[in-house]
Amino acid sequence: MLTGDYARLLPALERMQVDQFVLEYATPRAGDIEVVGRALSDRELGLGVVNPRTDTVEPVAAIVAKAEQALAFYRPDQLFLNTDCGFGCFASRSVNVEEIAFRKLCAIVEAARILRARYG
Amino acid sequence: MTEPKSFITTQVGSWPRSKTMLKSLRSYQKGTVSRQDFNLVAEDEIRRTVALQEQAGLDIVVDGEHRRESFYAFITDKVAGTQLMSLAEMLDFVEDKAEFEEMLRTMDMPASAVKNPTCIGKLSRREPLALEDLHFLRTLTKKPVKITLPGPYLLTRSMWVGALTRTAYNDPREMADDIVRILREELIDLRDAGCDFVQFDEPVLTEVVLSEECGRRTFM
Repeated sequence: MLTGDYARLLPALERMQVDQFVLEYATPRAGDIEVVGRALSDRELGLGVVNPRTDTVEPVAAIVAKAEQALAFYRPDQLFLNTDCGFGCFASRSVNVEEIAFRKLCAIVEAARILRARYG
Repeated sequence: MTEPKSFITTQVGSWPRSKTMLKSLRSYQKGTVSRQDFNLVAEDEIRRTVALQEQAGLDIVVDGEHRRESFYAFITDKVAGTQLMSLAEMLDFVEDKAEFEEMLRTMDMPASAVKNPTCIGKLSRREPLALEDLHFLRTLTKKPVKITLPGPYLLTRSMWVGALTRTAYNDPREMADDIVRILREELIDLRDAGCDFVQFDEPVLTEVVLSEECGRRTFM
């Protein structure tokens, strides 16, 4: 398993003609948002705020705090909130059960509601 | 309905598979259930997945990828020149077995779960990869929708199995040109059909970039 932040990927990412990078940040493996924020904030960021591989639902306050870290580099309209990976990555076993997946989505939506109230 | 313009919420792709869905998938793989019947089961799952996302209040909705064997192997249904192969079938042909296993680890997938879309001939779209998914999703929601597709690096790296692919292509880059063309055609079709968001999945990009840095072969 590769670990560490996205620094070594930046030369490849910078050359890509895409509107948004959808990146995992709900795992400690992803490192600090600053690495991507400094280099790629001319594009949107799909910020991974919940980990589909765990069965504990992330606290809304933790999701809000993560998004606020990204606000040091991104405008609110550039910042999307999403899951890290999908919830059912491959066929033979499901990564997570539906009820937990649903509650994780609800946590993301609640965090977005709080962030919009604070930052528009 | 006014759409939010900041902190837009969405999901990255697949939704947990229900027992019913997994059972139907296994039967379809064994050939005891037709693709049509399999799709009917998948459509019920997609309806529930979309309803749950709407209930949660998500801004951009996905279909949960229930029709897909996996997020990239499903293209063997859609692209000519491909064959779905189990890990056991592949190991006979893979030259660098350690590197293959490393890729599986990078993708966080257990070897037993993996079926690979192997390139065994010239690649071309037999049917659109995801256009039908978009049309069906549109019948279920008025919200903006996202379609996910496997990215060109992932596909090139997984589809090239030298002993089998060299019958059609001289090297991975030549095959990659056709993969990019196919993905580009699909992207344009999705755009023209009004898809709001297309996401390309590249879970092994790190591995591709680091392989180049280390002077190893970029592809399997």
